[in-house]
Amino acid sequence: MRSSDVVAPAPFRGLLAFLWTEALVQAHENLAMATSMVVQGVLLVFVWILSPGLIGVALVGAILFSMFAMGQRVLNEAAYIRIDHKANDLYLAGPLSPEAYFLGLSVGILVVYLTPVVILGVLAEVVIGFAPASVGLLLLLAAAVWLFAASLGYVFSTFFRDNRAIWAYSSLFFNAFGVLPPVFYPFGKFPTALQPIALLMPPSAAAALMQHAIGATALSLGQLELAVGGLLVETVSVFLFAIVWARRTVQGA
Amino acid sequence: MTGEALRSERLRKVYTTRGGPSVEALAGVSMEVRRGERVALLGRNGAGKTTFLKIASTLLRPTSGSIEVFGHDVARNPDRARPYIAVVPQEGKPFFHLTPREQVYTYLRTRGLSRETAKARTEESLERMGLTEIADRLAITLSGGQRQRTMVATVIATEAPLLFLDEPSIGMDPFARRDVWESLRTLTQRGSTILLTTHYLDEAEALSHRLYIVERGEVLVSGTADDLKRSVGGTLKVTIPQGAVQVDAFRSFGACVADGEHLSVIVAPERIGELMDLAVRSRLTATVGPVTLEEAFLRVVGRSINEE
Repeated sequence: MRSSDVVAPAPFRGLLAFLWTEALVQAHENLAMATSMVVQGVLLVFVWILSPGLIGVALVGAILFSMFAMGQRVLNEAAYIRIDHKANDLYLAGPLSPEAYFLGLSVGILVVYLTPVVILGVLAEVVIGFAPASVGLLLLLAAAVWLFAASLGYVFSTFFRDNRAIWAYSSLFFNAFGVLPPVFYPFGKFPTALQPIALLMPPSAAAALMQHAIGATALSLGQLELAVGGLLVETVSVFLFAIVWARRTVQGA
Repeated sequence: MTGEALRSERLRKVYTTRGGPSVEALAGVSMEVRRGERVALLGRNGAGKTTFLKIASTLLRPTSGSIEVFGHDVARNPDRARPYIAVVPQEGKPFFHLTPREQVYTYLRTRGLSRETAKARTEESLERMGLTEIADRLAITLSGGQRQRTMVATVIATEAPLLFLDEPSIGMDPFARRDVWESLRTLTQRGSTILLTTHYLDEAEALSHRLYIVERGEVLVSGTADDLKRSVGGTLKVTIPQGAVQVDAFRSFGACVADGEHLSVIVAPERIGELMDLAVRSRLTATVGPVTLEEAFLRVVGRSINEE
């Protein structure tokens, strides 16, 4: 026995190494995967042609929803690894902590696919000309939306026994969080009665806050509080739940 | 640390499904694996081998009973047990978009090994498993057997104190299987302990110091392969292809198993001449060979290991 190899358990042991593993996996996958992440960018052409005045709003929406999509990819990836490869058993029956497995998987995907979002960010800077505070706000909101989606995706991934069933839910999430609520279009265009709901959904809440910051939408104080509070509470609580859930599901939920 | 690498006491696992009947996969399994041993779990499909391995490797919670790995309670404190173990999951596959070299190396790094150690062990393990030539090809381009070798290479490279291997050589050609056996022998010489499940009786016999035969979630018998073979009642097996119709004439020599027209008789060496005389007088052809684990398994379980 190599007793020197036996390491003491720690909450995030192995995080960086597993993050690197997942990033390598993603980097080796074909370009189609990366292309899917910039589909929002391609759709911006229509906005540019049909309504050039809305291009700033659409670009901000594209950035935030790309972050959501990258978080959502955790749902497919975690389920694929577990159902098709059983590689989670290989990793979790060892010193790699369950928390590190979840976070390594999520951040590993993020770092590889971040480039298209950075390109969108540069485009947005050119079109909108962000104030420094708005850049900081955009980064914070993008991080929150990603964390929410990744956490939700990981938790959901543990419920499936068949990868094909996940496609339907991925599509559902895509439409429920990105197409219907005001992520790509101005918040004010969303029916007034339903606006509180949009402010409680992280991608549209983040989009509304950014639209407010760049002067594309005027939110009331109550709406601002609802958007900020909702985003904060939902992101933190879903993330903490995912951390707990990651540990709990190692030995079967 | 205790003297045993693994010890379980009356381990039970009952799977419950919504609206369906409960299934008792383990019905009170007690076993121990001493440090440095290679132990095989033998059983038919659904006997409970994989369930036991999943509980032992901290991936499933038992319904009752206890199980310890190097003195650490696996169910109550899995974090303490995990650094001591490594597992080849049943039907596990490497990441398709990693090469075998990347798979082994990054896995060792997730276990906390230094870059230098991980690199050296990666190369050694790839070589042992005959993967050096394909070490830089993505796993998606490899055959099923090569992927399985990659999984085994990944786990062997850890040199963990306790390795669990669930059907490790499935899908491999005979040469690769022997590479696995040799690697596992080397690991135990270095101090690791191995618990494996297998459907290959020759593998269990060639590889393990001791065997546990499991059926319907219970350990029916345990011991060395020689112990189990001796328990059959003789050391030689006479195979008589057309002998089933005359089974009564051969019963006095030892245990008889008729399968269609085919008859197998387990016999002690001192009575082999007498039995062959009878076969010749009955105008039957007969061949003599050693008793194998197949006969031992058949006697203990009452069915072949491959019977569903």
